[in-house]
Amino acid sequence: MYRNKGISRFAWLLLTVALIMAATSVTTWAAPKETVTVLGVWGGQELQAFNKVLAAFEKKTGIHVEFTGTRDTVAVLVTRLQAGNPPDIAALATPGLIWELASKGQLVDLGKVLNMSQMKKDYAQTWLDLGSYKGKLYAIFFSVDLKSLVWYSPKAFAAHGYKIPQTWNEMLALTKNMAASGVAPWSIGLESGAASGWPGTDWIEDIMLRTGGPEVYDKWVNHEISWTSEPVRRAFELFGEIARNAHYVYGGPTAELSINFGDAVKPVFADPPKAYMLKQATFIQSFIRQAYPNLQPVKDYSFFAFPAIDPKWGVPVEVAGDGFEMLRDTPAARKLMQFLASPEAQEIWVHELGKLSVNKRVPLSAYPDELSRKAAEIVLQAKVARFDASDLMPAALGSDAFWKGVLNYVSGQDLDSVLNNLEAVAKKAYGSK
Amino acid sequence: MISTGSPNPAVPGGKHRPAPAFRLAVPGAAGTVGGVASQAFLHLVIALMCLAWILPTLGVLVSSFRPASAVANSGWWTIFANPFDLTQYTLANYQQVLEQNGMAQAFWSSLLITVPATLLPMLLGGFAAFGFAWLRFPGRDALFLLMVGLMVVPLQMTFIPILRIYSRTGLAGTLVGIWLAHTGYGLPFAIYLLRNFFGTLPGELFESAYIDGASPLTAFLRLALPMSVPALASLGIFQFLWVWNDLLVALIYLGGTSSLAPLTLKLSSLVGSYGQEWHVLTAAAFVAMVVPLILFFSLQRYFVRGILAGAVKG
Repeated sequence: MYRNKGISRFAWLLLTVALIMAATSVTTWAAPKETVTVLGVWGGQELQAFNKVLAAFEKKTGIHVEFTGTRDTVAVLVTRLQAGNPPDIAALATPGLIWELASKGQLVDLGKVLNMSQMKKDYAQTWLDLGSYKGKLYAIFFSVDLKSLVWYSPKAFAAHGYKIPQTWNEMLALTKNMAASGVAPWSIGLESGAASGWPGTDWIEDIMLRTGGPEVYDKWVNHEISWTSEPVRRAFELFGEIARNAHYVYGGPTAELSINFGDAVKPVFADPPKAYMLKQATFIQSFIRQAYPNLQPVKDYSFFAFPAIDPKWGVPVEVAGDGFEMLRDTPAARKLMQFLASPEAQEIWVHELGKLSVNKRVPLSAYPDELSRKAAEIVLQAKVARFDASDLMPAALGSDAFWKGVLNYVSGQDLDSVLNNLEAVAKKAYGSK
Repeated sequence: MISTGSPNPAVPGGKHRPAPAFRLAVPGAAGTVGGVASQAFLHLVIALMCLAWILPTLGVLVSSFRPASAVANSGWWTIFANPFDLTQYTLANYQQVLEQNGMAQAFWSSLLITVPATLLPMLLGGFAAFGFAWLRFPGRDALFLLMVGLMVVPLQMTFIPILRIYSRTGLAGTLVGIWLAHTGYGLPFAIYLLRNFFGTLPGELFESAYIDGASPLTAFLRLALPMSVPALASLGIFQFLWVWNDLLVALIYLGGTSSLAPLTLKLSSLVGSYGQEWHVLTAAAFVAMVVPLILFFSLQRYFVRGILAGAVKG
């Protein structure tokens, strides 16, 4: 009795499988429509915003776009490239990787896809250079974050009579003043899973830009100056002055290492505040909104530019961004690239999300709030703008050793050994490039 | 996997079964002082292990009913301060997950991927395991060792070569491709598990069947399979969970075919590129858990029946 039942059940299951297989074979292979596949990192609200951009494209051209969003973009893209099955278009945030792919001939030269004279009018040379390899354009920067910002609560500042610092020394004085009142001046969170440490690299990069200027910064990125050289050492030391001081950072270095970068907004905007300032990029606004949905931009939270250190270099900006590359040259993919490079597409994107566009034809009125508009203005008007150095360096250094170096330094390791170690990694990484 | 810790499990659907037989199978365990002490110790360990597993899940469950700002600002255990204050709970996270575009499609895709990708390795693994256990052919043990060895190979290593084959044969981005991939990844374990189970079946059974004129296929279908329902059920659960929860294999082999994207892909895209909005994942986790839970509870009777059958036969 029970044996027969087992058999019949098994047969029943097999029958179901056969039916499902039959059903899907009908539905799966019946949709040949002009399609572009896109791989990118976006999810959540970002994905919703990007879907709006794509919807506008589909409406205009009738071309269907298949977007795959994963936070493992690089791993998935590299795997699919090696297997000869790349997506038509990918969005990458690391120019270092874009150049590497371009040097291997895996990207399509956009010179034959886009109207280059229009591109030169629309984009600052910096942005074209970042997407170019050996004089040919391979990537268009679509979405940009401004990193050189310090977030604060205007109400808390007003309550204590704190003024926005214009120079590094003013900022240090303010820090000291705040620490004397018994509340931590800074909230720093370095934890970010496998990428822990990157918020600290932003500090060091911004300090490098302000102490050494863009030339030294570029030399550092290209490993033309050593990690043990004076400018790098000084940048670490200035960062350490704040980050390694238990009175200057919420919870001291121990907490700093374990607090997630997204959670670092909480001490600053809690009531009463447990810290006053947070150095973080424009994207952090989404974390503030998530943790404190009732706070109003400008009134309850705002930012000021990370101040100048050496007056000679003023207030340069450090940025990061996502750029689109074409991996397969199809007519549909060409149309999508042309659309994504246009102000039309980027207006939708910045309006939905408060991300920044570097297309000069995107009007400031497209930004959804005062803060994003202000950030966009800073980026467009910046005399000196540099991309996040760790995204430009070889991955073994910029996306690994540098992060860990920051963690070791903050946890109290001797600066010499941190820098010697970084230099050793750099020698290997650039040597093999 | 079997959650019944009590000595007399309330067997779902087991109406006619003589429950005391199970107790008789362990005579002398209860009653003596040492027996009681060791039983108490055993129960304590089991209880602690259950707690260690359940506590994080409970945290996720509680978080899934809390608003985003509360999740961001305080730990889930803070609800126990006044657990009956209903204003602190919300269904917004579930609403956000379920109202996403294409959720129904993703559910359906997950089923379309998982059901065949579970049954295929069970079927093929059953055939192979029977061969390894009861058919004599040269190189049998070496082949079996090779199969077991394959369990050690990390599947990430296979992505590039297999995807290369797939993109040449047009299998990339198709359901058939992903069924075959999951079948391949699941087979070594399936064969290993089933072979070991088949190996414990009495050999006289098959001998007498062969004397009666049964072919190996008949012996497999009529004898080995029906007696292995518990092993098949556990294998089914393992494989189903593995495929249902898989994100990476689908991400690589399905490429950009979003119409076939399973639930895991859909849910992972709820989180922003910096990990914003992760609180939605708590609700998403429970939405994704529904099907495996149904499967587990509906197959649980087979586990218990299997244990019982073995005990009675002694």
